[in-house]
Amino acid sequence: MNRSKVVVIKGKGVIDPAGDMARTKIVQMLSLGFRNLTGAREAGEGLASLFARGERIGIKINTIGGRKISTRPELSLSLAGLLIKNGQPDKNIVIWDRTNRELRDAGYSLSDSPTALKVFATDTSGAGYETEVFSHRNIGSLFSTIQSNFVTASISLAILKDHGLAGVTAGMKNYFGAIHNPNKYHDSHCDPFIAELFESGPIKDKHRLSILDALVVQYHRGPSFHTQWAERSGTLIFSLDPVAADAVGWRLIEELRSKKGLPSLKEEDREPVYLSTAEKLGLGRVGADSIEVIEDEI
Amino acid sequence: MKRRRFCETLAGTGFLLGTGAGATLNRVWAFQNTANLSHVEARYYKKHPDREIECLLCPRICKLGDKERGYCGVRQNDGGTYYTLVYGKACSANIDPIEKKPFFHFLPGTDAFSIATAGCNVNCKFCQNWQISQVRAEQVPHFDLPPVEVAAAAERTGCRSVAYTYTEPTVFFEYMYDSAVEARRKGLKNCVVTAGHIQPEPLQDLLKVVDAVKIDLKAFRQDFYKEYVRGELQPVLESIRMVSRSKVWLEIVYLVIPTLNDAEQDIRSMCRWMAKEIGRDIPLHFTRFQPMYLVKNLPPTPISTLESLRDIAIQEEMHYVYVGNVPGHSAENTYCPRCRSTVIERFGMQVKAVAMNKGACGSCQYPIPGIWA
Repeated sequence: MNRSKVVVIKGKGVIDPAGDMARTKIVQMLSLGFRNLTGAREAGEGLASLFARGERIGIKINTIGGRKISTRPELSLSLAGLLIKNGQPDKNIVIWDRTNRELRDAGYSLSDSPTALKVFATDTSGAGYETEVFSHRNIGSLFSTIQSNFVTASISLAILKDHGLAGVTAGMKNYFGAIHNPNKYHDSHCDPFIAELFESGPIKDKHRLSILDALVVQYHRGPSFHTQWAERSGTLIFSLDPVAADAVGWRLIEELRSKKGLPSLKEEDREPVYLSTAEKLGLGRVGADSIEVIEDEI
Repeated sequence: MKRRRFCETLAGTGFLLGTGAGATLNRVWAFQNTANLSHVEARYYKKHPDREIECLLCPRICKLGDKERGYCGVRQNDGGTYYTLVYGKACSANIDPIEKKPFFHFLPGTDAFSIATAGCNVNCKFCQNWQISQVRAEQVPHFDLPPVEVAAAAERTGCRSVAYTYTEPTVFFEYMYDSAVEARRKGLKNCVVTAGHIQPEPLQDLLKVVDAVKIDLKAFRQDFYKEYVRGELQPVLESIRMVSRSKVWLEIVYLVIPTLNDAEQDIRSMCRWMAKEIGRDIPLHFTRFQPMYLVKNLPPTPISTLESLRDIAIQEEMHYVYVGNVPGHSAENTYCPRCRSTVIERFGMQVKAVAMNKGACGSCQYPIPGIWA
């Protein structure tokens, strides 16, 4: 069986000393990431292999942590810009999360224009949740209509963080923000809930790509922001395999924890066991031997 | 008439909203402005370093980082302080017959001013009110109804009690407690309809301000609680014990779900446990299940099943065993355990006749336990 490919791009100087992001550098990182991921010579060619022209593309971000530890607007807007530059109609792209308040708190300007790039949340008037419960294995939830109805292709553009219960929150757990009751799925280290939610049709059938925002990584005491355990890593992680992307993100967190003299997540009894469950469900690969990591720097 | 009386009362106090208070079960999936949630510090939690908290209200003991919300969906850690988001934010307020709760030995034939907020600390796959219980605070229409207004509205509408019901009142503990205090000031009684999934300390405090508790015992097996309730059986049994040993009136409801929790041996074990731990005088209601929420593949409970489980409970010498959600069934009535006379005749939620004298059987004077006035 072929190994799953995960691309790790480090951007030198992508974060300036004041903590601001260099958007030009982020665009370069994204372009390099798409080239390495798809084998295409140009990013546009790579994107074209992932998304058909005219698809409605959802970029699911994670903004629960506020300005300091959410998917950065510089990143998500750059990604949307790259898609638009390479032929996707801007009106067909939505950057979204659970609530408009969280989007605003994370630094986003909202837009629900029918003719332009959209940035809005499930609680926008006219969006909302489905009224029928979606039931799958241990999941019983109402999906955001953005995920279930609007988008035809989905990118999980998650912030990579340590998580007190799940161990790691990354691309798969990001979809907790696509349902109305994520609070019901934090028992047992969120296992098997994260994997089973991802396996649900409205996600699995639409998910195309995971990109992890590891520009600043909260490697301890997450998911909330703590300056002393936040590393300016300047990294983006790409994969078509949602499990492999998160597994590589997990390794990055472990490396940072080890470097800082912290116990591993296993030693703290909070390994992200949901990744193994996801592998068992056939959603992707988790073991190091099953993943080809391609690292590059710009 | 009751609905008109209720609406007039609410309109008079200025908290009848355009959406129509009391109509929340036919809800619309509209969002409320999160700014309209309450931000009242919660009781029963412990602060930890790094802005983390530990909720001590229910047996889940949620450990939450900053900005995270508890399993209940209505209590949140903001900056290391834990808040209830639903204090004074009712999603439902109605005047109900007390028999609807059901309480059969508590102020029969009276009305209860019944309130709820969003949220629940378990997740029963057969929940009958999931549209308001299994949602987060901002996902259900709600309106301002502070404790003092709860008591005032109850008094104004001629209710004898305030009922905390529909969802799981444990999760709106602070609101319930303060409303109960206000209601008592007006000479009203308080009753709680709960799954009993609560820690001993808050329950002990609650029992000081309420008069009756109805506990939904979902099954008598831990594996059922784990699989279908997402909770634990033992804390519920402990709650039942604790209420029974207090001065607060207790009734038990058991929703009978075909094939899932209707094994005769389980019912026999439960009755023996009840007889030993809380006594034979606690009313036990076997109620009829209707397919709902995540359990839609099973039929409504056959009436014969309810009857046969009631027979078992009577064989085990439970004194007051009822069948619920079957209007017109003879087991809706209260019978004197000594002379078998009918002391309270009911039809559905209506009391048709009472043949009691000062809390005793009108025929043989055998004392019938309960709160009758």
